[in-house]
Amino acid sequence: MLCYQSLLIKGINSVIVVVIIGYSFLAIYEFIPLYKQKLWHDFWVNVVLGIFSFTIAILLCLDVEIPSPEKPIRELIVSIFGK
Amino acid sequence: MQKEQITDKEAICLLIVFIIGSSLIIGIGGEANNDAWIAGIVGVLMAIPMLLIFSRLLSLFQGKDLFDILYITLGTVIGKIVAILYIWYAFHLGALVLRNFGEFINTVAMPETPMFVSLFCLGLVCIIAVRLGIEVLGRITTYFLPILLFILVVVHFLAIPQLHLNYIKPILGNGLISVLKGGLLTFSFPFAETVLLIGVFGSLKTKKSPFKVCYWGISISAIVIIITTIRNTAVLGNMLDSFYFPSYAAVSRIKIGDFIQRIEVSVAFVFIFGVFIKSSICLLVACKGIGKMFNLKDYRTIVIQMGLLMIYFSYIVYDNTMMMRYWAFKVYPFYAFPLQVILPIMIWVLAEIKLKQ
Repeated sequence: MLCYQSLLIKGINSVIVVVIIGYSFLAIYEFIPLYKQKLWHDFWVNVVLGIFSFTIAILLCLDVEIPSPEKPIRELIVSIFGK
Repeated sequence: MQKEQITDKEAICLLIVFIIGSSLIIGIGGEANNDAWIAGIVGVLMAIPMLLIFSRLLSLFQGKDLFDILYITLGTVIGKIVAILYIWYAFHLGALVLRNFGEFINTVAMPETPMFVSLFCLGLVCIIAVRLGIEVLGRITTYFLPILLFILVVVHFLAIPQLHLNYIKPILGNGLISVLKGGLLTFSFPFAETVLLIGVFGSLKTKKSPFKVCYWGISISAIVIIITTIRNTAVLGNMLDSFYFPSYAAVSRIKIGDFIQRIEVSVAFVFIFGVFIKSSICLLVACKGIGKMFNLKDYRTIVIQMGLLMIYFSYIVYDNTMMMRYWAFKVYPFYAFPLQVILPIMIWVLAEIKLKQ
């Protein structure tokens, strides 16, 4: 509850609502036709990718810092070739 | 999946825009400073053999794209592993290019708008373009490329009063090593990225067309990039390295009789179109790869999700502009080298052996 209130104060939840509405439109216009056409491969790949991108979208809305793969790649390259 | 075909002319235009897209504005050469144009020539010379290998691969397997070639030459299991690498590379490159665009807009045009807005707007256009397919991309590029070249030529002529050709001297003043380093950078940053175009040019018509496309595409884009670099050096001098976006800074110096000035938006136009085409092609290749990997009926069904993921990824990938330049000039050449050089050469050798048997 506290968490929800702090979100309300920040005004973040309105963005989350927009994201949820957007993704539900996507689900209606993308996933359901695939389900009806019985294209199971397409449907499941789409669902997995959709859940993944939906999670990231919600995390971005909540201002969670998502670790970028840029840092490990940079450290690997620097450790091999030097600066 | 219905067969899509593009003509040679469209393919040449796609290749040119793909190469000049983001490198025109970020600049090439890195630490070579006023020898950046020599670094550009070195980069082109390094890139020509690689482009010949790419076009040889395309003409060996006519009508097949990158992922088909991988499965044919390496077998299903190893082919899938390498395909994952290429999908990741296409996805990452697309995100980096989108991010370049976001940084550009955020730095020069709209500093108070959140970067996510500009990324999202361009990303949506890319998603729509990729859903429409490679034919539409090819056609729109053929329409727009003459406009882009016209803008570039006019801006070059207008910049003549600002040129200080003595800034180019001393030639090779920083030594050969920095030029070679800059050459490697130019090789990996715009030119060898064309490895991704193997994933698209499977839709070319004849066996000979890849060589023609490669020949014309690389010569025109190399001329454009090298002339632009010479102009930037002659306008900005040794400060070239200290600008985030050298072309933009150079063009903003143009001032002819209090009347023609502040025409840097023309550069922005060229840049935005280039970024649009480049990230669309990256998204297209990533989607095609995933489509082939999971035996999807059509790659179009996953374009929206992949595009959204690409937008989010481009939003989180760097912290700031300095990190972007550090990455583009210090890390990227080594990171992309295996995917741009080592793997294509291996695939080519295996393909030649396989076809002889």
